Amino acid sequence: MGTATLTKDPYNLIITGVGGQGNVLASRVLGNLLSDKGFSITIGETFGASQRGGSVMSHMRISAGESWSPQIPKGQADMVVALEPIEALRVLHTYGHPGVKVISNTRSIYPVGVISGDSKYPSMDELQKTIEGLTEQAWFINATDAAMELGNPIFGNIMMVGALAKTGVLPIDRDGFEKVMLRTMGEKKTPVNLKAFDMGAEMIN
Amino acid sequence: MSQLYEGKKGEKVLFMGNQAIARGALEAGVSVAAGYPGTPSSEIIENLADVSKDANMYVEWSTNEKIAVEVAAAASFAGLRSICVMKQNGVNVASDFLLHLVLSGTRGGMVLIPCDDPGALSSINEGEARQFARLLEIPLVEAGDFQEAKDMLKWAFELSEEIQNLVMFRSVTRLSHASGSVELGEIPQTEPKAQFNYKGFILDPVEGPVVSVPVEYRHGLQQEKLKKAEALFEESPFNTYAGPENPEVLVITSSGATLYSREAIHLCNAKDKVGLLKLGTTFPLPTKLIAKHLKTTDKILVVEEVLPFMEENLKVLAQELAPEVGQKTFYGKRSGNIPQTGELNPDLVAAALAGILGQTYAPQDQEYQTKAAQQAFFNAPVRDLTFCPGCPHRASFWSIHNVLAADNRDGFVCGDIGCYSMAFLPCGFSSLKTLHAMGSGTGVASGFGKLGQFGLDQPVVSVCGDSTFFHSGMPALVNAIHHKSDITMVILDNSGTGMTGFQSHPGLPVDAQGNESPALDIPTICRALGATVEVCDPFYPHKTQQTFHKLLEMPGVKVLIMRQICALSPEKKGKKQYEMSVDETICMGENCGCNKLCTRVFRCPGLRWDEEKKTATIDEVICAGCGMCAAICPSGAITRKEVA
Amino acid sequence: MKLFAQTQLLEDVQGKGLCVGCGACVDLCPYFTTYRGKTAMLFPCDRETGRCFAYCPKAEVDYDEVYKARTGRAFDGTPIGPHLETYKAKAGEKTAECTFQCGGTVTALISCALDNKMISGAVLTDSEGRMPKPRLVRTSEQARDCAGSKYSASPTLSVVNQEAKRGVRNMGVVATPCQALAISQMKMNPTDKPDFEDPVSLVIGLFCTWALDARKLEALLAEKGIEGKIIKADVPPPPAEVFVVETDQGTVEIPLAEVREIIPEGCSICPDMTSELADVSVGQVEGDAGFNTLIIRTQKGAELVKTAISQGYLVTETLDGDKVHNLATASANKKKRALAKAKEMGLLNTPDEEGRAAMRVSEGALNKIQP
Repeated sequence: MGTATLTKDPYNLIITGVGGQGNVLASRVLGNLLSDKGFSITIGETFGASQRGGSVMSHMRISAGESWSPQIPKGQADMVVALEPIEALRVLHTYGHPGVKVISNTRSIYPVGVISGDSKYPSMDELQKTIEGLTEQAWFINATDAAMELGNPIFGNIMMVGALAKTGVLPIDRDGFEKVMLRTMGEKKTPVNLKAFDMGAEMIN
Repeated sequence: MSQLYEGKKGEKVLFMGNQAIARGALEAGVSVAAGYPGTPSSEIIENLADVSKDANMYVEWSTNEKIAVEVAAAASFAGLRSICVMKQNGVNVASDFLLHLVLSGTRGGMVLIPCDDPGALSSINEGEARQFARLLEIPLVEAGDFQEAKDMLKWAFELSEEIQNLVMFRSVTRLSHASGSVELGEIPQTEPKAQFNYKGFILDPVEGPVVSVPVEYRHGLQQEKLKKAEALFEESPFNTYAGPENPEVLVITSSGATLYSREAIHLCNAKDKVGLLKLGTTFPLPTKLIAKHLKTTDKILVVEEVLPFMEENLKVLAQELAPEVGQKTFYGKRSGNIPQTGELNPDLVAAALAGILGQTYAPQDQEYQTKAAQQAFFNAPVRDLTFCPGCPHRASFWSIHNVLAADNRDGFVCGDIGCYSMAFLPCGFSSLKTLHAMGSGTGVASGFGKLGQFGLDQPVVSVCGDSTFFHSGMPALVNAIHHKSDITMVILDNSGTGMTGFQSHPGLPVDAQGNESPALDIPTICRALGATVEVCDPFYPHKTQQTFHKLLEMPGVKVLIMRQICALSPEKKGKKQYEMSVDETICMGENCGCNKLCTRVFRCPGLRWDEEKKTATIDEVICAGCGMCAAICPSGAITRKEVA
Repeated sequence: MKLFAQTQLLEDVQGKGLCVGCGACVDLCPYFTTYRGKTAMLFPCDRETGRCFAYCPKAEVDYDEVYKARTGRAFDGTPIGPHLETYKAKAGEKTAECTFQCGGTVTALISCALDNKMISGAVLTDSEGRMPKPRLVRTSEQARDCAGSKYSASPTLSVVNQEAKRGVRNMGVVATPCQALAISQMKMNPTDKPDFEDPVSLVIGLFCTWALDARKLEALLAEKGIEGKIIKADVPPPPAEVFVVETDQGTVEIPLAEVREIIPEGCSICPDMTSELADVSVGQVEGDAGFNTLIIRTQKGAELVKTAISQGYLVTETLDGDKVHNLATASANKKKRALAKAKEMGLLNTPDEEGRAAMRVSEGALNKIQP
C-alpha cells in the first residue's frame, strides 16, 4: 500500500446532501481513489425513490485492515462532507462528537416544508455558528455558486471532493483523482472535473 | 463500468454489492439473466446488460417477475446457467410459477436472486423472500460481505446443478447498495450450446419433458434434493466461525447483519467472550455444524433483519438436538433483544449484545448529543419526500386532485407502486386513498366500480405507471372492461421505469441490451381492449382537466393517458425547456386572490418564497424548467421563456 | 361586516349545507371553483380575511350595512324593499322574438342596455346540457340565446369574478336575490383592496321564491324519463302544485312536493323574494303570463326603463293595486319564514360568544317582519 496512512483506523467519513446533488458519485470517486491506494473501503448509501427530494447520506469506512459495517455507529463520524448545510447539522445530530470535522457547502436547498411555509430555514450565519459549535474544525465553501461558473451546479460534489483533499485529513491526491476520473468518466469529462477539483481545493485556506 | 467484465483475476476493486453479484454471474458463466426492476435489485441486470454483448449473454427486463423466472427457467431447461433478479415483492409475483418449477426441477444451474429491503428504505412493504425458500423447499444462501456476494453466487450454481433444482441467493439493501472491496476471479471463456431435450422417459430428469407431475413423486424427490443440499452445507466454506472456543455468548447471524454483528462485538470490546457464527447457508440449516456450535455455549443471540426466520429454524433444530447439546437460552426477536421490524445497524446489535453481557452501551457523548439534538431540532427543518422539480407526476396529480375536488362527489384514487406512490403525501396533493401492490390500483378500482349496486356513487379513479401497465395493470383493466365496471384509469406514462432508473419496458423502442425493439402502444392496446381512451400532456393542466372531467362523467371504463417524460430521464436531465421568472410587481403573494399558491400548495422544489419581498422566486439551481408553475400562477406573474 | 376567510366559510356555509352555488366565492382565487352547479373548495387557504367570506350571501351579512351602502337606507323589512315605481311590462317590438319566461322584460332591458352601450357586457345564464352555464355576452343577439328561466341555481357570479379579473368593467348582471346581495357586498370593497374597481354597473334582479339544486334537478328529470331539450320550466300559480317542464318533445308535470325536496337548504333562510338590491327587479304577474312585474328601484334602473320604452324595447302598463298587494304579502311571508328559519338554526343575530351569524338584522326590521 504505498506510503499513505490514516490518522485513524477505520476513518469514518460521511458525505451528505439532498437527492440529486451527486452524493453517490462523490462517494464512489473517493472510494475508488482510496481503494486504489490499497485501503479497504466499505460504503453504505441510501438511494432510490425514497430519497426523492429527501436527505441522502453515504457512510464510508476507510481502513488499512478489515472491512467494516456499511453503517457508521452513532457518534463516530470523523469527517462530514455536506453538499447542503442543514444536512451537515442533521448528520452531526446522530453521528457527531466533539472531535468531528465538517466541510459544508453554503448553498441551501430548501426542504419542501420550508417552501410551503410550514417550517423555517435558519440564516446561514446562524447555521455556520451552530455547526462550528458542534465541531472541532469546520470549513464553509460556496461550491454551488462556483459550480454554476462551470455551467452546472452538479459539479459542486467534485468541488467538495477537492476541498476534502486540501484539508489533508485523508490521503487524497490530484493524480489519484485524475486516474479514477479517466477510468470511470472517460477522457472527455475528466478535464472539467479536474477543474472542479482544483476550484474546490482553492476554497480551503 | 468496464471493470465488471474486463477486470482481471486477482485484481482488487471497489464494487457495489449488486456489481459483485453481477461479476459473480459472469464468473459463473451465466448465459441468461432476466429480471424486473425494483430497488435494491436493479443494478444487477443493468450491469449485466451493459456487458451482455461482450460476454455473450442474453439479458432482458421482463414484463414482470413471473415472466422473468419463466424466461430464466427456459434457459435452464436448455442446459444453460441462468439467473432471475427481483426485489422482495417480485417473488410474490413469481411464486405461482416457482411452486411448479421446484417440482419439475432444473437442468442448467439456476439461481433466483431476490433483494430484500429491511426497513423499507425504497419499498412500501417489508416483505421477506427468505420465507419463500421454506415454502418452496429450496436451498437458501446469503452472502455476508461483498467478496462473498461474488463468490457465493458461483457456488450457488454448482449447488443448483448438483441437486438439479433452483437455489435462492438472497441479498439485502445494505449489501446490494453498499460498496466494498472485492478480489476478482476468472471469467470463463466458454460457448455454451442450448438444447432442450424432451424425448426421454417422463421421469428422466435430464432427457424427459420438464413437468411437475406426478406431484407426490416429484415432491418426494424435491425433498431429497433439499437433504442433499443440507449435507453439502455442512462443509460450506461460507459458514464461518470467529471467536473463543467456549464463548459466553454465541452470535449467530447471516447476510448484511454479519457486518453489524462483527462491529457490535468490537463496540462492546468483547472479542474474547463472544463468538460469531456467520451462516452463508440459512435454509436448510446444517444440523451437524449447528450442533457443534451449540455445544460450546449456553447463550445464543440470533441477529437477523425483519422476521425471526433463522431464529425459529434454529430453535426447532435446538429442540431436536437438546438431548445431545442440552437446553439453550436464545436471545433475538422473540425475546425482544432485537427489533422485529426495520433494518439493523451496529448500534442496535451492540445494545442487544451489551444487554446480554450485562454491560451498558452508550454510543454517543451525552452532553454533545443533547446539544446537537436541540440544534438539529431548531435549525435543520425536516426534509419531506417530494416529487422532483419538473416531475410530470406533480402536474398530473394537480389535475387529478383539482378535477376530483371540483367534481365534488367524493371521488378517489386507487394507487400502486411507482414514484407516484408518493401521491398519498402532500406532494401529490394527498390524492391516493388506496396504495398496494404493482397493478393493484386498477384491480381495486375495478372492484369499487362494481359497488354502484350497493349505493356507492363516488367516482373511482386508478393510477398506473407505464411499466406497471405492462407488468400487471393490463389484466386489471381487462377485468374492469369485461365486468362493465365504472372506472377511470389514469396511466401516468413517463416513458420509462422512472423510479428505478429508466429501465426499458415493452412500451419503449429499445430493450435492456440496447437493441431496437417493437414498442407496444398503450393507447392502441387500451382501445383494442374496449376502453374509451384519451391522451393528454399534464403540463397543460387546463386541457388535461377538461378531458378528465369529460371522462369522469362517462359510464364504463375510460383510460386517460397523461404522457410526459420523467424529469430525470437521460433526454431531459439537466436540460431546461424553459427559463422561468417571476415578475415581483405582478406576484400577488399572500394577498387574497393567491395566497402563495405556487409555494404553499403546489410546492415545487424549484420555487422559493421570499420572506422579505413577500413574493415567490425561482431557485435557479433547482428549477428544471418544466413551465408548470407558469400554468398555475393565478396572476400571470410567473412567466416562461423557451430556452434556445 | 365581520370579516373572516375560507376556513369559516367552509364551516358556516358548506358545512351547514347553506351554499346555494351563486358563484360569489368562485374564481376570486385558485381555491374555489364551480362545476356542474356546485361550488367546491380545491385547496385550503390560511388567510384570516378573504373576499370569499366577505361576498358570500349566507355568511355574516349585515343587512343594515349592505342596504345603507347600496340604497342609502337601512334594512327595515319592507316587503318588496326600497323602490321607486312598479309596473307590469313586456318586451316591445324592438326586442326580437324568442322564448321568454312571461313577458320578456329581462331580455328587453338587457338588449336595450347592450345596444345603447350602457353596459360593456351582460352576465347571463345559458345552459350546457341540463346544467346552467353563466357567460358574459356582448350583444343583444347573444343575450336572446340565454332567455328563459333555468330554475336551477347558477354560479353566475363566478363569471363576474373571472371577467373582473381580466379587467372587464361596467358589466350588467341578471341576478337572483342572493346574487344581488353578493354583488352589493362586492361593491362595498369589504376587504379594502387597494386597487379595487367596481366591475358591475347594472343589476337586473329576478324574483325568486327558491332555486333548485342543478345536479339534483338533472337527476330528477332523468328519473322522470324526461328527454329532449328543455325549452322552459315554470311553476303555475296555486292551487296547481306542479312544476311544468316544457321540452322540445312535449310538456311534463312533476308534483311540486317532489321538487321541493331538491331546493337547497340555503334558500330557506333567504328573506328576499324580489331582488331588493337590484336596479330593477323583474318577475311574474300573477295570472297574466304575457307580462312581467317590473320594480324600478334606482335612478339608474329608471333611466334604463325610460330608454327601453322610448326606443321600443319595452312596453309598460300600470300594475293593478291588488297585484301589488299580493306581491307584498308573498314577499312579507318569505321574509317571515326565512328569518324564523334562520333564528331556529341559530344563524340570526348570533351573539359573538355563540359563533357567527348568517344574517344580522336590526330590531326595527325584526319587529316589522315578526318571524
